[in-house]
Order: sequence, then C-alpha cells, then structure tokens
Amino acid sequence: MTHPTGQQITRDLVRPLLLTTWRFYVMIALFGAFVVAGLVAWLSQVYFGFGLSGINWPVFWGFYITNFVFWIGISHAGTLISAILRLVNAGWRRPVTRCAEAITTFALLIGAMFPLIHIGRPWLAFWLIPYPSERLIWPNFRSPLVWDFFAINTYLTGSLLFLLLPMIPDFAVVRDSTTGIRQKIYRVLALGWRGTPKQWHRLESAMQIMAIAIIPVAVSVHTIVSFDFSMAPVPMWQTTIFGPYFVAGAIFSGIAGLIIAMAVLRRLLHLEDYLRPLHFENLGKLMLVMALLWGYFVFNERLVTYYGNGPHEMAVFWRTQRLSFAPLYWTMVVCNFVLPLILLGIRRFRTITGCVIASFGVVIGMWLERYLIIVPSLGAKYLPYSHGTYTPELVEVTITVATFAAMCLLYMLFAKVVPIISIWELKAGEHPSPALIPPATEKHQLGDLHL
Amino acid sequence: MDRRSFIKLTAVTGTGAALASCGNPENDFIRFIPDEMIVPGVAVWKPGVCSLCPAGCGLTVRVMDADADVVRDGQAGIVRIAAAKKLEGAPDHPVNHGGLCARGQAAIQVTYHPDRITQPLRRTGERGDGLYEAVSWDDALAEIVSRLDALEGAGNQGSLTYLTRVGRSHRAALVRDFLVRFGAPPPVAFEIFGDDVLRRANALSFGREQLPTFDLANAMYVLSFGADFLGTWNSPVAQNVAYGRMRQGRRGVRGAFAQVESRMSQTGASADEWVPVRPGTDGVLALGIAHLLMSTGAYPSDAAGRAGALIEGWAAGLPGYAPEDVERMTGLEAARVEGLARQFSDARPAVAIVGGAPLAHSNGLFTALAVNALNALVGAPGRDGGIFFTPQLDVAAAVQSGSPAQPAVALESLVTEGLAGGASPEVVFVDGANPVFTAPPAWRVREWLEQVPYIVSFGHFLDETSILADLILPDHSSLESWAEALPESGAVMAVASIAPPVMRPLHQTRATPDVLLEVGRMLGTPLALPWETFDELLGASLAGLPSASGSGALADARQAGVWSGELPAGLAVADSADTSPASVPVAFTAPEFDGDADEYPFHFLPYSSNAFLDGSLAHLPWLQEMPDPLTSAMWSSWVEINPVTAERLGISAGDVVEVTSAHGTVRTRVVVSPGIAPDLVAMPAGQGHRTFTRYASGRGENPVELLAPMTDAATGALAWAATRVRVTRVGPPDGRLILFAGSLREHGEEHR
Amino acid sequence: MPQWGMAVDLDRCTGCGGCVVACHAENNISTVGDEQAAVGRAKHWLRIERYWEGDFPDVRLKFRPVMCQQCDNAPCEPVCPTYASHHTDDGLNAQVYNRCIGTRYCANACPYNARFFDFFNPSWDKPLQLQLNPDVSLREVGVMEKCTFCVQRIRAAGTQAKAEERDVADGEIQPACVQSCGARALVFGDLENPSSEVSRLSRSPRGSKLLEDTGAQPSVTYLSRLTQV
Repeated sequence: MTHPTGQQITRDLVRPLLLTTWRFYVMIALFGAFVVAGLVAWLSQVYFGFGLSGINWPVFWGFYITNFVFWIGISHAGTLISAILRLVNAGWRRPVTRCAEAITTFALLIGAMFPLIHIGRPWLAFWLIPYPSERLIWPNFRSPLVWDFFAINTYLTGSLLFLLLPMIPDFAVVRDSTTGIRQKIYRVLALGWRGTPKQWHRLESAMQIMAIAIIPVAVSVHTIVSFDFSMAPVPMWQTTIFGPYFVAGAIFSGIAGLIIAMAVLRRLLHLEDYLRPLHFENLGKLMLVMALLWGYFVFNERLVTYYGNGPHEMAVFWRTQRLSFAPLYWTMVVCNFVLPLILLGIRRFRTITGCVIASFGVVIGMWLERYLIIVPSLGAKYLPYSHGTYTPELVEVTITVATFAAMCLLYMLFAKVVPIISIWELKAGEHPSPALIPPATEKHQLGDLHL
Repeated sequence: MDRRSFIKLTAVTGTGAALASCGNPENDFIRFIPDEMIVPGVAVWKPGVCSLCPAGCGLTVRVMDADADVVRDGQAGIVRIAAAKKLEGAPDHPVNHGGLCARGQAAIQVTYHPDRITQPLRRTGERGDGLYEAVSWDDALAEIVSRLDALEGAGNQGSLTYLTRVGRSHRAALVRDFLVRFGAPPPVAFEIFGDDVLRRANALSFGREQLPTFDLANAMYVLSFGADFLGTWNSPVAQNVAYGRMRQGRRGVRGAFAQVESRMSQTGASADEWVPVRPGTDGVLALGIAHLLMSTGAYPSDAAGRAGALIEGWAAGLPGYAPEDVERMTGLEAARVEGLARQFSDARPAVAIVGGAPLAHSNGLFTALAVNALNALVGAPGRDGGIFFTPQLDVAAAVQSGSPAQPAVALESLVTEGLAGGASPEVVFVDGANPVFTAPPAWRVREWLEQVPYIVSFGHFLDETSILADLILPDHSSLESWAEALPESGAVMAVASIAPPVMRPLHQTRATPDVLLEVGRMLGTPLALPWETFDELLGASLAGLPSASGSGALADARQAGVWSGELPAGLAVADSADTSPASVPVAFTAPEFDGDADEYPFHFLPYSSNAFLDGSLAHLPWLQEMPDPLTSAMWSSWVEINPVTAERLGISAGDVVEVTSAHGTVRTRVVVSPGIAPDLVAMPAGQGHRTFTRYASGRGENPVELLAPMTDAATGALAWAATRVRVTRVGPPDGRLILFAGSLREHGEEHR
Repeated sequence: MPQWGMAVDLDRCTGCGGCVVACHAENNISTVGDEQAAVGRAKHWLRIERYWEGDFPDVRLKFRPVMCQQCDNAPCEPVCPTYASHHTDDGLNAQVYNRCIGTRYCANACPYNARFFDFFNPSWDKPLQLQLNPDVSLREVGVMEKCTFCVQRIRAAGTQAKAEERDVADGEIQPACVQSCGARALVFGDLENPSSEVSRLSRSPRGSKLLEDTGAQPSVTYLSRLTQV
C-alpha cells in the first residue's frame, strides 16, 4: 500500500472544497427539507401549544430529552477520542480527529437545542442564564438543569476551540490553493498563518493544553447530564452508577457515530487512501471495549436493582424487562451488546462493513437506552394510580428525524468548506517536529487481538 | 441607564449572585411583594339552596364582581355584575352541616353554562329538529294563555299534564295549586331511580310515606342493603356527615358498617364487610337475621309491632328463614348470615338501611318491608342511632290554599293509556323532567309526547324531552331566583331551605313559579292564586312558623338560607292514615327477571352515576371530567364485568362490547372490576344523551335503553334491576373509555 | 411562623369526589375535554386514588385522596432552574406560575405525581369564565400547576387576622377541599401549634406519611382506615 505524498494529500483533500457535483445539491436539498420540516413542527408546537407532543401526566419527559441525551452522548465521539489519542500520540488518529471533532461540535449544537424545544415556554429560556437582572432573580444554582447549562456551554466552547485551532494551518493551505473570493475568505480564516516555527510551537502548545483540558470537561458534561436523572427521586433514576454509565454510553455512541461518519465521507469524498480499514478496525476495537463496558454497567445496574427488590424500582424493572417495554429493551441489548460483540469481536467480521453495521446498531441501541431510562420510570413512578404511558406524536418524530437530517446537513456543509481530514497533520514531513507524529503504519494497529 | 446606576446594579447583582449560591435565598428573591400588599378580592357571601337533587342542602355562595357579556332590553354589552363564584356548603345547615357533594359544587356551572337557553323560544322546525325562533315573553305568555283558555273553553282542563321531578318544595306546592285550580290532574313526577317502593313500605310499616333519616352518627352498627347512601341515594351529604361521625367522631368508639349488594358501590367500598347476595334476595337476608335475633329470645317478635305483622310468619319467629334456608336463597353462607346477625344484635344501637337496587325488583316492596321489620325489631325507629322521619311542613295547610290533595298518576299508566287510544293530554308542561331519556324505551314516552298537540318546556337546556317542545320558557337558574326545598330527610327537625336570589339573571329568563302565577292571572277565567309573586307564597307559608330571631321565619331564612325547628301543630304533614295492617302479610316471592336465563345469562344493574345521577347533570363539564370514584373514568360510559366472567368471554379491559337485552342493545366499553358478581354486569346511568348541550350530546350510552318494563308487583314502580342481558365482544379498545388512573391495584399488579 | 399541614382521615373518607370538584371550582383549574383527557392531560390537583384488594367476593376497595403533600424537603424545589418552585416560610411549596418556564423537572421529581402541566392555553366556553376566582391567577400554556393548599385563602385569612391584630384561629382557614368534605375526612391547620386539630390528628397512632421512604417529609398525614375484626 502506498502512502500519498504531500502534494497529493493537498490535492485530494482540498478537492472536495473546490469541486461540487449535482449530487451535493440534491443531498443538501433533501436534508434541508427535513430540517425545515422540523422547524415547522417546532414552530407549530410553540404556536398551538405544547400539547401537540405526546407528553402527558405523568410522563413529562419523552422524545425531546431522549434526543438531548443522545446527541450530547454522540458529541463524545470527537473531542474526547481525539484528545486522548492526541495525548497518547497515536499516529493513526490523524485522519480521524477532525471528523470526530466536527461531530462533537454539531452534535452539541443539536443537543443543546433540545432543552429549548422541550420546555413549555421557550421564549423565557433566557431565565436559565445567570444574567444580572434588576429584580435580583438568579437561576437556581441547585438545579441540575442549570449545571447542564454551564456544562454544555463549557464543553461547546472547548470543543469549538479544539476544532478551530488545528484548522488554522489547513485554512492557510486552502488559501494557497484557491483564488478569488474564496482565497479572500480563507485568508481571513487562516488568521495570518505563515507556518513559522513560532506559530507551530504555539499551536502545538495550545492543542496540548486543550487536549488535557477537554477530557475532564467531556467526562463532567455527561456526568452532569446523568445528574438530571439521578438527582430526582424517581425509581431506577436515583442511582450512583449513572455518572460513569452515561459517560461510557456517550463514548460508546460517539465512536459509533464517528465510524458511520467516516465511512460516509470515505465513500462520498473518495478518501479511501486516507481513511483505511486500519482506522475502522482500531475504532472498532475501541467500540468493542466500550460495548463490554456498557454491558457491564447495564448488568451491574439491573442486578443491583433486582437484588435490592424495592417495590417501586421493581415496578419499573419488570416494565422494561418483561412487560410493555421488553421488546424495546431486548432490541437495545442486541444492538448494544450482542451485535457489537459478534461483529467486532470476531476478527473476520471486523471489516469496514462490519464496523458500520455494528455502529448503526449501537446508534439505535443507545438511542433506545436513553428512551428506556426516561419513559418507563416516569410512567411507573410510585403510586400506581398515577402510572401512565407515552406515545410520541408527529411533532416529536418530525423533530427527531429533522435533527438527524440537520447533523447530515451541517456535516456536508462543513466538509464543503473545511478539509475534513487535517492536511497538516497528515503531512508529517511539513511538521516542524515530525518525530512527534510518526506516519501511520500497520504498526499502529491497536493491540494485536486475534479472536 | 447611566454609568453610576450601572455600577450599582452590577454590585447589587454580584452580591445577589454570591448570596444565591448559598442558603435558601429564593424567598428573598421571589417574593418582592410583601404579604400585606396582596389584597384578595372582596367577596360577599350569600345563602343559597342546591337544587340539583331533592336533598335540599344549604349553600353559601361567594359573590364577587365580574364583567359579563349580557343582553339587557335588546342591548348587548359588557356589564359589571355581582357574579356567583363558588358554592360551598352552609356551615350551620341542619342537612349538610357545611359539606357539599361534587354535584353541588358543580351546580354553579348550570348558571354559567354556554348552552343555556337564554330567552323564550318557539319551535319552527319539525319536533326534535331543534330549530327554534326567539319570541318575546309577552308573545310566549299570550300563546300559552290562549292554549289554556281553549282547553277551558272546551271544558277539557283535565287534559293539561305537568311533568316534573320528584322533590318536595314550595314550588311543587304552587304547581299543584295551579293545576288543581285550573282543573288539571296533579303533576306527574317520574324518576328512574325513584324511591316510591320505600315510601310505600314506610307508610305501611311506620305510617310515614317518606324517606327515612338515619342517625348514623350515633349508630354502632349499620347494615345497608344496596343503598348507595354515601354516594347518590337519599340525602348523601347529610349521610356523609353522619358517617364521618360514626367512624371517628366519638372518642374510642367506632361504628361498624356492612353493605349487602352484588356490585360494589362507592358506599360499599367504605364498608367493613361487603356481602354479595343474589339479586332480589336482600329481604331474605334481612328476615334471616331477624329470625336469628328472635330465636335468641333477646328480641321478642312483637317488638316489631305493625312492621313485623306485615311479614308472613313473623309472629312464629320466621321459621322458613333459618340460616341454611337463607344460604339456599341468597347464596350467602349460613355462617356469614349468623355473623351478621350476631353483629346486628351485639353492637347496639344497630340500624338497617335499604334503598336502590334491592327495591327495584318484582319483590321490591317485600324487601323494603322485611328491612323495616328488622329495624322495628331492634327498636331503631325513633331511637338514637336509629331511623327518624323528618317532620314535613304541610305547605297546603300553611298557605291555606285549601285545594284538595289528589293522588298523582304514574307516568307509565298515563303513557300506556294515551298510546292505547285512551285519554291523551292536549297540553303538556315539562318542568325539570326528562322522561324521554330516563324512562325505559319500552314505555314509548317519546311516541306519546309526539302525539301531544302542544308541549311547553321550562327547562334551562335543550334535552331529549324539551326538544319536543313547541314553546320553551326558560327558567332562572337556582342562583338567579328564589331557591328553596323542603328536605324529605337528612335532619331530625323540620327543615325549609329557602334563599333569595344570589345574583341578577344573566339571560332573558323568568322564574317558572312567577310565570305560572302570571299565566294564572292572564287566563280568561283567572285562577285567583292569592300571591302576586313566588316570594309572597313563601312568606305566607313561613308566616306561621316560629322565628328564632323574632323577626319572622322568612327573614331568618333570608339571613341563613334555612328555617329549621318545631313545626306548629297543624302545619306538619300528618302520619299516614293507613294504619290498618295489610290484610295479607307479604312473603318472599322469588324475583322475576325479564329475559331467558340461557339467552341472557347476566343480571343487568344500571346504577345512579356518582357524577350525573340519572343523567340530569351530564351537561356539567366539571362532573364530566371528575374521575369516577371506582373506575376513574372521565367523559365516558362503560359496563362493569367480573374478571372471571371477562376471561371466560374473551374480553379484556377497554374492549368494545354489545350489551343486549330483550328490549335493546348498547355498544359500550368494558371495565373489568373485581367488585362485581360473576353473573352480574353493571352500567352507570347518565351518559348516552342524544341532545343535551355540547358536553353531553352523543357521549356514551344510556343503560335505561336496555330496561324491560318490569314493575314491582305490589306498587307498580319500575323494577329497573330486573332485566337480564347478554354481553358479546365486538372489538378491541377504541379509545373512548377514558380512565384517569393507571392501575387498579396498589401492590404488585405489574408482576401478577 | 405557622407550618401548614393537613390530616386525611381515611376512616372517614368515602371517596365521594366533592373535594375534587371543589378544587376545580376554587382554583380555576380548566377542564381539558375528552380528547385531551384521553391522552393524560386532565388536571386534578386533588385526586382520590382507589385501589382494589383481593378478588370477588372477598374484595375491598381503598380510597386515598392525594394532593400536593407540601413537603418540607420537597424534591420539586431544588430541581427547578428558575425558583418557580420554592419553599415559603410557612411551609408551603409555592409555585410561581409567572416564573415557570416549563422544564417539567419538578413534576418528574415529585414522588406523588401531584403536579400538572398546561399543555394548551386553558379556555372556558363563555360565559363559564364568569365563575373564575379572581384570587387565583390563570395559568398560561407551558407552566406547571399544582395544589397550593388554597394559598389565597391562607393569605386572606392572614391579612384579616393581621388587620384585627390577632392570630389566625385554628380551623379559620379551610382549603376548598376541606371545606366541602361532608365526612370531615380532611383537616387543615397549623402543625406548629400543638393544640390545633391537625397537629392532634397528625400525632395519631393511625397516622403515616405517604411514600415516607423518599425522604420528602410531606406535611400531609394519612390516618389509616380501620378494619372491624
């Protein structure tokens, strides 16, 4: 297998920015249409009343919060993975990092919309912000929702920086390969990058700091999301395991999202030379680890509940295990555990296709996991007289679909304006300290599992 | 904002933020308005009387200002009115003692109902189309007067028929007087869940043709045969008040309570012991208990006096009612019969209650007499913790109207005669009754009314009966006019609940008593009713009553909404003159049921709905949305089926089924209920209106449509619990059974 | 400072529903209609729970009125991001409708499911709106609402007592549900005052709190229904 040279890297990776086919516009229109549909759905919910949703007494949280947790979870794809790999200096990460970081940013943006979509009076959402009001009214700092507000904002800011910093040299590359108005735009974006050793040094230091800083933020953000549940005295919510369980689940779904995104980019942008089976295999192994970890957490959570045998917990427990939610529950177990274990655990299946199939399974499974955390508990909370059920309505389904379309749309547009693979990181030779980043070779295969 | 104030604000908010992060600061931040600056609106409280059922509970009405869209003298506009805001039980009222039931609370929605008839209407379309034109009161009254004059001209005054509801009041007395003076028969009152059998039995047993009052508060043991006395029967609020005292109102003493019925009612739910027996055999159980009491020797048979003498074999100690015989007839184990008898004799004072379904069988009078005899045996009549008969003000005597009392005709016989080609009324006045809805279709009341040439309704709403009317003269609501009732029961002393209007009328309506008085004056031959207005009649009636304050009984009533006290001699309704013992003592006869037991395997029990009674309250949205106490159903109707039966029929909760009797079919939804016998299905009355405002029309099903025209053999009263039905599953749940509750059981249902 | 509380004597409660409608009448709770009720949007600040026990013929039915328990350690309060749900000095869980943004977090945290959400702007078919109580604010779409112990009555009585320079007497304040109850199953008053009827009943050996193990420290005591042996 040959490795592309510097010139070719630039040509291949800048090409998607310059060449736009009709297919691109069709896809944009398609995804755009879904996004518009979602917007219409949301506006009608605001206009006609929240009752258009399927939310009811006592299931006051439904699809929207599921989506919120899901997208925040997906956002753990990038930054965390890329930061860790950066810190351990894994060379194979280089074509993957930007894909991943972009997912983080967009998933966070989408996830952060859901509290707005979800609340009853979104026009007053600014009351969550601690702004100096003349009436001295502050948000309630004891509320996990306010913690969410800070955690997500911090994470978003960090992720944006983490995404933008390494883009500067690439903007410079694009600036140098384009002309006209494009060149002017990228000149601004490149912030006067000249590639001097001093600039490289500063970039390197900044990236190092960001990589270290972003990891605790990422861990904390999903822990805090889990606090939304574990801080409320709801059966099967109030459990100490939720923090790590949510973080593990988030990384799990994040990797799955990343694998899917990479496979799509590889196919559409013809990046076969850059995103190679090795990358998929390595990510697949990571995902396998996470699948086992996830399985451990779920087993732990369920077993402890079962032995605790609290009557209120057991009502929820049996609801998911055996009764009305059992089909969804066992689908989740298959998607999140059985499928990854087979496809990623057996070497023969750990191909790009295998990884992608497993990833789709995990994305579905992790979405279901969040749904199954939220809805069965709320529907069977303590006093049986007040138990209830939940069926999503059209607006909720539309908005959910629209957010997936929004993810695709944002990603396509992003890949259109930014080289989706970090050019400078690939060009190990142009780096001032190439020794820091050795070229990607077979040696960097993760572990040596022969299953 | 200048720089200085900006800095100040920043400093202040910064401190605020610092404070907010510790302690419980929200009180300081949220409540910027000091308590003393919150001034609740200024309310006036006025007395009122609840008119939704005959219990005659006293109200305290909260009145405050409100801006109403009203039409006055043809001009529409927004006017500030004194509007009733909330109805509460009058604290010192001798019947309800401050309590008020759900229906009473909702009574205020009658006044403000969006579908109230706001002015006189004359029919323009076919009968039943609901097409009406507005007419003026003058034209409307002239039209009635010409109709009545025509009757008089033809010498046919007897063909005026007045349909009304059951209930004693001055208004009823006025109507009666109006009719007598005109030469028409007395008003015809019909109520599906009526108590005529019990009144008749009480007349025979105790010489009082009225419903009894129970001194539950002092009872140690209450044995109720089918009476939903905590829900809908007799004087429910008074009985709730007394029940609360019976249970926990006496230090260290708690009265016990057993309920005999085969479908658990809201009342049965509160019982310590719930005793299902075969339908129509409650009287047997009562006599079985009496037999055991007498056999111990503690209660000699002659203690029951006249009430006992009415029962065959009483003097001999009821030899045919040994526990084994009772077990054979009622299905209740002999040991439980003995247990009930032991409690009934040990816990003194004990009292038995009977009402509702047990009396709605072909042997209803026997059952009532049997329970009366049991009460008489233990000396319950007139003793603390026993039964009383509230002294009744004799309005006719009080106002010296001097019209002779005529026996009323039953609706059924009137209809049967009319349809058979006999005498049929020329003019029908409908006042508060809706027999087209509440009478069994087999009686063909609608058909009978359709052949009446002229129908006048005084109703507030278009319902199944008033939509047949040619002229509608809407009455004031009870908040807009003099409201009064003479409670038949619920207190030991005589009571007259009387209250002046609480607010001005919202619409172009007129009080029906005043309309009748005016019509009486306008007739070609005036009726010479001695009162100008209804309150003059009230004044005349109360004039002879003692006044606590000395300013007159009516003035007292104006203040308190009630007069209560000793009735002077001559003003009380006398005991029934019928003191001769029944020539032939009654014996148990097996209840007869309509429908073949093979073809129609289930007994059918319609019951008075906690929310709507017989359906007259189905138009009130609060009651529609109130969860039913037992099923938690809202805005729905349903049929209750035992779980074992349901499983055998392949029916699960919520399924759509057809309930079919020999007289009709209704398609409704299933509530699987553990509190009902396997051979019984029950349906609440109240829903299934075709025409009754936006909230009730087209909603649910009316169980009365299934009823056979069975009657109690002795009194001719409708035996509404004597129909048999079959149940067939039609399909899966269709979403029209709306339940508030998620689960039937508190523990472990999910895992059963 | 009084601490308001309630005692519910289940031995007196007959499940009649008078309190349920009284609450609607007093607190401007809109009816939602059949379609909304069918999807679980009915608002009953006070509900009478009923539970079946056993099977025919040995079957029993228990009633239990459940309203906001006005917990001392209310789980709904800390989770509200805007202080719409907060604790007052006299022990009430106040809900400031105007400050509510509708996260519905409080409803999830409430172990009793005593909180209800306005899914649409409430409406009254004219002229039913003439009945509305001017002392109770109307809630718009998107806010949570719940039993307030009829705080408007508590404040009115407090103002009246202050004007007359006296303390509020025991039994002077009756929430609408307490007022309507014929069987006197509901008793309201000041738990701080040891001689008030509600304190006396709350100390009864029959008394217990609902879902005590959640640690919410409710202010409502349920007095168990006795069984005759």
